[in-house]
Amino acid sequence: MYDHIFKRAQSLHGDKITCEKKHPQQLEIKTDRHYVMNLLSWLKTESYVHLAFISCIDWIEENQFELVYHVYSYEEKNHILVKTRLDRDRPWMHSIIDVWGHAQPYEQEIHEMFGVYFPGNPDLSGLFLHNWKDLPPMRKDFNPKDYSLALYSLKGMGHEALDMDFIQEITELEVE
Amino acid sequence: MEHDNIYLTNLRDEKQNMWTGLANYFRKRSMWMLYYCTGCGAIELPPTMTSRYDMERLGMGPMATPRQADLLLITGYLSVKTLKRVIWSYEQMQEPKYVVGFGSCPINGGIYWDAYPVINHLEAFMPVDMSIAGCMPRPQAIIDAFEKLMDEIQQGKAVGYKRYRKHYDWYKRNQDLVLNRQSAVLTPYVDPFASMPTAAELMAQESEDSHV
Repeated sequence: MYDHIFKRAQSLHGDKITCEKKHPQQLEIKTDRHYVMNLLSWLKTESYVHLAFISCIDWIEENQFELVYHVYSYEEKNHILVKTRLDRDRPWMHSIIDVWGHAQPYEQEIHEMFGVYFPGNPDLSGLFLHNWKDLPPMRKDFNPKDYSLALYSLKGMGHEALDMDFIQEITELEVE
Repeated sequence: MEHDNIYLTNLRDEKQNMWTGLANYFRKRSMWMLYYCTGCGAIELPPTMTSRYDMERLGMGPMATPRQADLLLITGYLSVKTLKRVIWSYEQMQEPKYVVGFGSCPINGGIYWDAYPVINHLEAFMPVDMSIAGCMPRPQAIIDAFEKLMDEIQQGKAVGYKRYRKHYDWYKRNQDLVLNRQSAVLTPYVDPFASMPTAAELMAQESEDSHV
């Protein structure tokens, strides 16, 4: 099913990419991050018109982020995953909103959850988190359990109001 | 951790006279409820409200706006973002007002106890008159809790709104701690791209770095 796109990808972009068939319905293409835009534009002309989503993976041991662009063809009825790696210390990636406009909120979310910066995206403000000041929460070095215990547990809410005397006072509240 | 499961529902009786007793009798028989359906417990409400369990035989019915409702149902987990809206809704309600927490999430976080966006103890942010344990409670449990709540209203024990008024500063401080936090909880994050550089600037900088 993928044979012709596989061959054309190899002949057109041969030295820039590595292709692998992961599954009868999935072809994986790995490439350099500066080449992703070219590759996606080309795929869009090859009937892969639907950008399903962009995901981000934190490879903390390799000190890298991986971005995965999932594109789908309604004619071929299969997926192509375009994967690229970013440096984890300075993660940034060209915005692809010129190719697919609806990539804007996807990139906005990745920026919020992983801290990957997308120059060219007009709006990278916070989307879901309220008043967030910590590490981006989907990074592997962020510990949600410690965060939750530090902020939301009664002990962790951490002031004198939560000691037993106050509990006593509040349960013995005299009303009217 | 020993303080984590403290549960503030035990209340001293309201001073009763004939008129409060009469008022409470009518209050308990006509409760309009506002259900805050962002959690999974909302799915248990349609069978409770419709013909199978028929909540209306208890004199309860749904209400569209907080200003006309008596009862606020928190149906399941509350994220920090929804907490802010719940507090707005609760403060708009007219007294007397009652809060029922559905399921284990408003009690101690439930399965989201270690999740970063979900609060663990609703009691710390607003007074809860009745909690229903379970994940999720079945309609029978909900009806049972409503009947218990009606008993408590009759006896003048469901006075969470008075507690909120008296200890407003305590509740407000807890709310501010989560909603208007000024500093990071664990590690402060410094965005390396706070100056919003363009792609060209970033690439120029990278080529400089590689030459060095």
